[in-house]
Amino acid sequence: MKRFIIISLLAAAMLPMKACLWLDNHNYYLFSAYNHLEFQERVNKVCDNNWKAYLGSNEEYFWFRADDVIKAAREKGDALMVSYLENLKKYLDCVTIEQQKQNEWNYPSKEEIAQQQKDLQAIRNYALGKTKTKLRSQHALLYMRCNMMLGRHQENITYWEQTAKGFIDTVYRDMMENIYAGALYKSGRGAEAAELFAEMGDCNSLMTQFYKKRSYQAIRQHYLENPTSKVLPFLVQDFVNNAQEAIDGAGEEGAFGGKLFIRDLTKDEVWQMRNFCEIVVREGKTDTPILWKTAKAWLEYMYGDKKQATKDILAATKLDGTVRMKECARAILLYITADQAKDGEDFDNYLADELAWLDEKIKEPEGSNDGYFYRVKNRLTHQALTKRYTNRPTIAVAILKASGTYLYDTYIDTMRVDGLERYLMYTNTPAKTKLDKYLKASIEKNDTILEDLIGTKYMRLCQWDKAIKWLEHIPAKYYNGQGYQIYAYVRKTDVEPWVKRQWITDENFEYARKYNWTLRENPKLVFAKEMQMKEGTLHLLSGKAKQQSCYDLAVRYAQASFTGDCWYLMRDAKSANDSVRVNETDLRAKALNYLQEAALTNDFTLKEKALFGMAWSELYRTSDFETGNKDLWRESVWSEQAGDWVWKVKRQSPQYRAFQGLADLEKQNPNRTAQYVSRCDEFIQFKKQYH
Amino acid sequence: MAGCRQDKEVLPEGNAVYYWRTSLRLDSTERAFLRQYHINKVYCRYFDVVMGDDGKPRPNATITFSDTLPEGVEIIPTVYITEDCMHEYHEDLAEKIVKRIAQMNETNDIHGVREIQIDCDYTSRSRKVYYDFLKAVANHSLFTTHYSLLSTTIRLHQLSMPAPPVDYGVLMIYNTGDPRKFMERNPILDIRDVAPYVSRLSDYQLPLAAAYPVYRWIRNIHNVRVEHTVEAEEILRVKRAVEKERPDLSRSIITYHLDQENINRYKPNTYEEIYHH
Repeated sequence: MKRFIIISLLAAAMLPMKACLWLDNHNYYLFSAYNHLEFQERVNKVCDNNWKAYLGSNEEYFWFRADDVIKAAREKGDALMVSYLENLKKYLDCVTIEQQKQNEWNYPSKEEIAQQQKDLQAIRNYALGKTKTKLRSQHALLYMRCNMMLGRHQENITYWEQTAKGFIDTVYRDMMENIYAGALYKSGRGAEAAELFAEMGDCNSLMTQFYKKRSYQAIRQHYLENPTSKVLPFLVQDFVNNAQEAIDGAGEEGAFGGKLFIRDLTKDEVWQMRNFCEIVVREGKTDTPILWKTAKAWLEYMYGDKKQATKDILAATKLDGTVRMKECARAILLYITADQAKDGEDFDNYLADELAWLDEKIKEPEGSNDGYFYRVKNRLTHQALTKRYTNRPTIAVAILKASGTYLYDTYIDTMRVDGLERYLMYTNTPAKTKLDKYLKASIEKNDTILEDLIGTKYMRLCQWDKAIKWLEHIPAKYYNGQGYQIYAYVRKTDVEPWVKRQWITDENFEYARKYNWTLRENPKLVFAKEMQMKEGTLHLLSGKAKQQSCYDLAVRYAQASFTGDCWYLMRDAKSANDSVRVNETDLRAKALNYLQEAALTNDFTLKEKALFGMAWSELYRTSDFETGNKDLWRESVWSEQAGDWVWKVKRQSPQYRAFQGLADLEKQNPNRTAQYVSRCDEFIQFKKQYH
Repeated sequence: MAGCRQDKEVLPEGNAVYYWRTSLRLDSTERAFLRQYHINKVYCRYFDVVMGDDGKPRPNATITFSDTLPEGVEIIPTVYITEDCMHEYHEDLAEKIVKRIAQMNETNDIHGVREIQIDCDYTSRSRKVYYDFLKAVANHSLFTTHYSLLSTTIRLHQLSMPAPPVDYGVLMIYNTGDPRKFMERNPILDIRDVAPYVSRLSDYQLPLAAAYPVYRWIRNIHNVRVEHTVEAEEILRVKRAVEKERPDLSRSIITYHLDQENINRYKPNTYEEIYHH
């Protein structure tokens, strides 16, 4: 079982970075006045590294396993460590009892709680007796932990102030100081505790302490009592980010489903805070005016006064504060500028420098990097830059590519084909501007991917000539590297999907591996050429030949559509939520048109096939859960009266009409119905209510 | 269960409150309230059951007992279960809950408990699993030896489903409206939202207690702090309407929930009328 050592009972709350969102809206907090590497995570990491070193292990150490370390200590003959670890293990069992009370099924018994108290006493006495040994810091920490669990806070205060404070600087001393701060809090010395929590970056404990003191009034009061309080950056940041949540949550459902620690903020309160930030800067009593001015600017920006925000954030960057506060101001300046500045080379040059700065910050080592700059770049890219460069899609795509976002793939997949052609050209020409240089240096190029996509986009538009031009240079081996290769290998575009589905079996996968199934031709090129030939010659045909050709084209369009078996011709993957995408012809509609033409034939067999094709559910099915599949002939609906699901028949739907045509044909031509029609379950169901 | 007993035995006339905080500690106002309105039952939320990351239900936000209830006031352990825990049947859940409640009572010296209440906003999707779960609770040997009653909450929309297999239900006459349409209707309680369900009351095959809202709900909508409370008159109007349709709803009355702020929100005569039998 994973067990983490509880450091402070005060640290009960979590400080989530983001709301529970279904999708990433990239709306990360830009206002971040201090490093978010949480105290507890930081010390846990150091402790884990200490144990890793003690064990002489190269493996990453994720959580404390007492038995392993005891074994190692015994092998080393380290008796003091063995006794320490045995007692630490007992202490952890006492912690488990607390966890059982809260969120485990085995709620502790009275006896277990009594034993826990007894054990804590014994461990405490043991630990105190070892505070003069070479493991004095560890034992002192264990002693303070036991006191904390026993509620002996005054003893911890005395012990820290008279003894442990003078210990050498180690992670154990840090943890003791944290327990000391908790003891101060529980002894009614909240202000002192808060300063310590803030200094050590224990935001969880601060949040617990200030949970109900996070209003503008509370911040103002705190400032009046101590304008240089180290808690203020925490409170100001919390307020500003709550203000963002309030504005983000101002949708149809208000702040419903928001973050756990969200306070309800009104615009009035936000504006009071904004005005107060200015007063603080003017008074000159704070040693971090940049914090307040940046907060003011960001509140103004979020709440619509973008002009004033631009002035204030510029002014903020000239003020004093910590390195992180200065970086935060710089990031917010970049974001606001990206939204507000005029287009032109000046902005582009500035952007190139700032993106390079963000990249450097993102590369900083894990121990000191809390991901802030990554989040800044992510939000900047998605919310400001893509919008800003809407009219320069080439740059917009390059920025997305350079940022490494998954949205690059979506963006290029849905953008207009001429835009993508220009982008490909852009990546293959020398850089002219500073921004070009930055982007081109950051972009990993792969022309084949883009050429395939451009060819595919022309296929989606049914512009076969142009598709062929782009696809004919792409070798079959490119497609052998694609995830859909096996589908391209097994499935054929001339199989009538309404008669036979081309399922891929486990056996197919096994054979593909065993016999190294390999495409020898570019499947898209083959398809484009066939379609070009068939559609190009259609006008030369007439009568039965033309109707047959229409039917053949319908088969191919249906197969290539997003519900067909050969979906891989138009897209890289298939999903139940698919639909006709932007900049894509509705291939199913084309298939239906051709089927209609084919159904005009006097040839019974062809007519039956065409009508049967028109009744194929996959030509109508949508993933739109809101409206249901309105084009299908029936729909399953819940009936309160029946207390069950019932079928609702939709006589006006196109599928109903197609089945109707088929049923009428069958009636007019008794005993001629093909087996694939007469055995069709859906058609049998249809006829039950039709005749 | 319910079929074998008289409603009066299962649900004697009385006043009750819900206690929905994470620490049981009553201040003097709350104690005075219990005395003044002859509250003889407190439905006390012991813990929630939520879906864990491992796909199994787990307890959460367990109450700590820092205080005891006044003598003569019965405590009814109440467990809120999130609906997603009932999307599939968890074989041992009933046993785990019954055992945990028993252990909490034992550890914290809570005696004389004779009932358990389960609260879950079950839907047509989760109803069957939930009812099977309730049966498992009622049939568990620990339950049958220690307790005599099992109750559950009934939301208005649940009146359209068959009654659950419990001794009685508490009809939650609150959270009746669509929170998005707060400009038109009070989302906590509006008689127009109650009306469509009233006709189902008389035929509902389960003894019912009635729970009325006295709480405040604050939220932020379009940057405006919106505070929802229900006018005393609206609570009383609804009380009259539902009792007319089903007179026995006046027998056992509960308010949601015990809190100093809620006590001070309404005049004493409002509470007297709410608790009028």
